Amino acid sequence: MSDFQIRLSGSGGQGLQLAAEILAGAMLSVGKRVAQSISYEPTSRGGLSRSDLVIGDEAVDYPLVTDLDCLLILDQIAVDGSLDIIRPSTVVLMDSDRVTAAPKVECKLVSMALVRAAQGIGNVRTANIIALSALAELSGFCQAATLRQMVEERMPPRFVALNLDALAKGIELARSAGSPE
Amino acid sequence: MSTDQNLQNLQGNRACALAAIHAGCRLFAGYPITPSSEIAESMSAELPKVGGVFVQMEDEIASMGAVIGASAGGVKAMTATSGPGFSLKQEALGYAALTEIPSVIINVMRGGPSTGMPTRPAQGDIMQARWGTHGDHPTVVLVPWSVEEVFAETIRAFNLAELLRTPVIILFDEVIGHLVETVDLARFQNPQITDRKWADGKIEGFKPYRDPGDGVPMMARPGDGRRVHTTGLSHGESGFPTQNAGEVEKFMSRLLGKIAKHRDEVERIDARCCDDADVVVVAYGITARAAHRAVSMLRDQGIKAGLFRPITLWPFPESAFKAVAEHARLVLVPEMNAGQLILEVERLVSDKTTVAGLNLFYGEPITPQQIVEKAEALLSQ
Repeated sequence: MSDFQIRLSGSGGQGLQLAAEILAGAMLSVGKRVAQSISYEPTSRGGLSRSDLVIGDEAVDYPLVTDLDCLLILDQIAVDGSLDIIRPSTVVLMDSDRVTAAPKVECKLVSMALVRAAQGIGNVRTANIIALSALAELSGFCQAATLRQMVEERMPPRFVALNLDALAKGIELARSAGSPE
Repeated sequence: MSTDQNLQNLQGNRACALAAIHAGCRLFAGYPITPSSEIAESMSAELPKVGGVFVQMEDEIASMGAVIGASAGGVKAMTATSGPGFSLKQEALGYAALTEIPSVIINVMRGGPSTGMPTRPAQGDIMQARWGTHGDHPTVVLVPWSVEEVFAETIRAFNLAELLRTPVIILFDEVIGHLVETVDLARFQNPQITDRKWADGKIEGFKPYRDPGDGVPMMARPGDGRRVHTTGLSHGESGFPTQNAGEVEKFMSRLLGKIAKHRDEVERIDARCCDDADVVVVAYGITARAAHRAVSMLRDQGIKAGLFRPITLWPFPESAFKAVAEHARLVLVPEMNAGQLILEVERLVSDKTTVAGLNLFYGEPITPQQIVEKAEALLSQ
């Protein structure tokens, strides 16, 4: 695997930077090299927020994304900014409630009620981890066990159980969604 | 946990803080500002662990003052900021240059002018870093392009500040500051560290600004009995103010000439695929990462392209640049500004080759594809 490109996008406060940090740690733990960049607005909540990862077997030469392999969209605000780098092969996972107008470009689109699922397990803030887990399950860039291990290492102890539930929920959603179109 | 124990994911800003401590920095004074805030945050957590001092000052001006004061007292000191704060530091920066007090200033560039775009990258402070403070003054500016190089160049900044007794500025952009990369810092375990050249020998008759030969006077260790007068007024060897033409001429010539006397230690470049290059791309910071990819893409199309990357931006590595650029058909200078380093590039080689810029300043990094398209368009003209 060389230069696998992932973007986690949505609005500020949805935990996208944390999800990316956990994924970056997970990829490092299995011997990959990563470059993780961020883009956000000067507000503490709301506004476009995204974190991008370029993952390779060797040191990453160009650290920013140019052709996405995977894209998460957790909010409508994040749709337009990624249109140029979605390819027909890009797996796009979007929130079925928060994204009202899907990207109008050819891609492998999967829609799930990610935020609702987070509310369902008791904390809306776990949508980031549910989404990360679902995306990993859909496209296979990271083993579930590796993500579990990283959640246990990185999350504050009182949130570990909740986030392990979120990982399990993401896998469940991905399996019931089937293969990306 | 990594399969290779030396590897870690590290952010550019945090790398800067860790490297500063590694280089011996024991005082950080600053006023946090996006996109540099993680430097202050890391320093506040890490400095106390090594007996250092973190001070959040009331503003950027005071921060620079505190850095100068600490350094004059013998402590390696640093501040970090972004454009608006960098503007505020300019007067004190000139004071440090004139009084020859070593200091390290980090400017993580964001969109400007004024408060501009706090969370977006820019490279608009290239000329400010060279000429921001008034009057002729020596300037050393370093521009790393990766997290690992931020670590290396931060250590080098402290070493150069001590070697030259001058402020050293590190410029990187928001992308590099916030970029997390997998790095191996094993090679930095025992870095070469330059410490203060303290005055020794006779105390009587000590001249605090006498040239020992390499242009850099020995500094008196505070309280060692040597008499020192420190002023931002022009001064001679004694340190006391003077407007005597001969004394000022001698002092200024030494001040401005001392960097050139240490050119080998100061200048650092990275030239890739330049030997046979028809197109030389000159770039720094995140734009150089894009240019590096663009050079590969152009080569894949049969266009002989190369990358010339100043790691030391000021003084600009003139000889090394001329050697690779004079024989090129085209020199392309992509920058996230309206055209700043290109002025220096034009000064050096526009009589020998075509120089063109790619200037984008809307808060998004320049992409490899944009550089490729610009080069292709220029070559087809």
